Amino acid sequence: MDTRLLLPAVLRYCLLTLRLNFRSRQALAYGYLMPVFFLLAFASVFRSDTPLLLPQMGQILAITILGGACFGLPTAMVAERERGVWRRYRLLPVGTGALVAGALAVRVVIIAGAVALQVLLARLIYGTPFPLHPVQAAGAFLLVTASFLGLGLLVAALADDVPAVQGLGQCLFLPMILIGGVGVPLAALPLWAQRIAGFMPGRYAVDVLQRCFNDSRGLAGAGFGLAALVVIGAAAGLAGAALLRWDAGRRLGRSGRTGLAAALGSWLAVGVAAALTGHLQPVLPYDTAYEDITEAQIAAITYDGLPGDNELVTRLAPPFPNGRAPATLAEFVYRIRDWPPGDLDDPGQSVRNLLSAAGIADLRADPREAEIARAIFDELQRRYPPGQLRRILAWIILRPDDGTALGYAPELGLPLHAPVRLVRERSVLYAQKFLGRLLGKIRDP
Amino acid sequence: MPAPPPAAVSVRGLAKRYGPVEAVRGVSFDVAAGEIFGLLGPNGAGKTTTLECILGLRRPDAGTIALAGVDALAQPDRAKERVGAQLQDAALQDQITPRQALRLFAGFYRAPAGVDELIDRFALAARADAPFAALSSGQRRRLFLALAFVNRPQVVVLDEPTAGLDPQARRRLHQIIAGGRAAGQTVLLSTHDLGEARALCDRIGILDGGRLIAVARPADLVAGGSARPRIAVRTAPPLTAAQVAALPGVVDPRPHEDGWLLGTADASRTIAGLARLLEAGAHALVDLQIERPSLEDVYLELTGRAWAAPEPEDE
Repeated sequence: MDTRLLLPAVLRYCLLTLRLNFRSRQALAYGYLMPVFFLLAFASVFRSDTPLLLPQMGQILAITILGGACFGLPTAMVAERERGVWRRYRLLPVGTGALVAGALAVRVVIIAGAVALQVLLARLIYGTPFPLHPVQAAGAFLLVTASFLGLGLLVAALADDVPAVQGLGQCLFLPMILIGGVGVPLAALPLWAQRIAGFMPGRYAVDVLQRCFNDSRGLAGAGFGLAALVVIGAAAGLAGAALLRWDAGRRLGRSGRTGLAAALGSWLAVGVAAALTGHLQPVLPYDTAYEDITEAQIAAITYDGLPGDNELVTRLAPPFPNGRAPATLAEFVYRIRDWPPGDLDDPGQSVRNLLSAAGIADLRADPREAEIARAIFDELQRRYPPGQLRRILAWIILRPDDGTALGYAPELGLPLHAPVRLVRERSVLYAQKFLGRLLGKIRDP
Repeated sequence: MPAPPPAAVSVRGLAKRYGPVEAVRGVSFDVAAGEIFGLLGPNGAGKTTTLECILGLRRPDAGTIALAGVDALAQPDRAKERVGAQLQDAALQDQITPRQALRLFAGFYRAPAGVDELIDRFALAARADAPFAALSSGQRRRLFLALAFVNRPQVVVLDEPTAGLDPQARRRLHQIIAGGRAAGQTVLLSTHDLGEARALCDRIGILDGGRLIAVARPADLVAGGSARPRIAVRTAPPLTAAQVAALPGVVDPRPHEDGWLLGTADASRTIAGLARLLEAGAHALVDLQIERPSLEDVYLELTGRAWAAPEPEDE
């Protein structure tokens, strides 16, 4: 079909579909009233947070997108298929792929309306700030929506009728709500559930959306989550497109099971990749102190993907001969024992500050950076009992954004400023290197 | 002698199988431009599958299909440009109005018919802005017919277009379909209704068990069959079995409503013999009817099954 004819025709189809959607009371109730209900419900549950709902916006929006994509889209498509509407469309001189693309585009607009309504109402009712990174938020919304629409397309392809859509949709919706980090916050889940959540797209959807609201780094560092959403959405979307049926009478046989296996295989691949690359770290409640860290949480920390000790980032010298620092480091070792930021009443923050010193030396490429890191590790072991040090290091790894980080330490001979955000990242890497050694999971040469 | 014009629909060796079931087996036929061709057959005969293959809704296992000179299997979108279709069991969204639906579908064609023109032609003006859910079955059927004509098609394919309609609505649709032929359109329709086939179709193809077992004009089908005319006669006093058996040409006489139903190999001779018997004065004629063989008889003869008439729905 001529593109000059196709585009206006598909656009007319999209506009008419939108118009019909807004004429359906059921679609309005499901698409807009339910999201408002979820917003109010979250506000009543997390009413002690300040500002209210800010830490939950990722979850709230993910639920709305999940509902619109995994229930709204397939319910509409399967209902139309059952009625014979898509059979009628097949008589048009246009590939039905163009109409499916139109149906997906319409659903993006419908979901965007619901999400915008939630963000606006949260702002008006509870004073919840708008996203810190609005452009990134728009991008994250589109990616999460596209990924979940891939799942919705697969549901539409697999479901024989509308009740089957509800059944299949619940199979996606409920696990993600309950143990996937979408409805119940990840930090409130036991460790086993947190690990399972790593195999589900909901966890990554919440993460990328939430980062746009209140993480100063935005989507920087969210590469794995973004890739996971692309992989899961693409696998489901391709399987759904291949299996989509126009005729209510046609049944899927083995091809349906193959498509489902391919889609679920992508979940498995993402989960395994997350485990292998250290993206399944336990998540702790917001107000967790280092004393609350459990041995199970410490044991769940992984050490894959850490930079080598002789690489550019986070260098670490081998243990000093006889445990004595070289002469070039004598003054540093002397100063660090009395360095006030490293000897606060709060041991957790003290360790963060000491690790910051290692991070500053690393970032400023101090010629002694590897030895400084080793000296700080020795000092930490000298100062804290092993059990306490393990907990503090694990707490820093699991709650990297807690406490404060330093940008320079002139008292230690590290006067040059380093970006605090990077110091915090390097501190966490050093904490992992030190904790791995304390637990015998990383061995010194 | 000039070459005959190319067929508007040409189907050759069409075959379609669903698992172990052979729904269509080697069906071949041509429909000339401007002709109304009817496919007749009981449920499961392969009518709908044949039409769905022609319309590109199903991929045949074998065979070729040409529509208005276009290979429909190799260039389905080009073929669809030239074909309009009305399907069985189709519906639209509850909220869409006939005007919106016609505008939407018209947008996909290069030279569509005017929406207002279609609304008038298919008598939808009073309900043009009513939601689909509020339309009667007859109005819905007219809307789908209007959609079939939205692209000014060269070939119109109609699957049981009047099934379930009351006689008035059926007559109205027959006028519309016949009007399409008058405008030069070729119509290929499937039907359950022998009266409709007789009234509308220039030629009929009878499908049975996935095979096309006969193709001819309705009158030729009847004339070419071996079914015999029947004469129903009542007299006072009634004729005896011996008198009836002695009438010339009579085959298989049966008692019928105080009289006789006489199959006849030669209606003229049988009636002449009956007239002579009545002239003799012993019997007075009460009632006499001559029944010619019908399409139902031809169908029974060809398929071995009696025709089952469809049930009408409300308009």
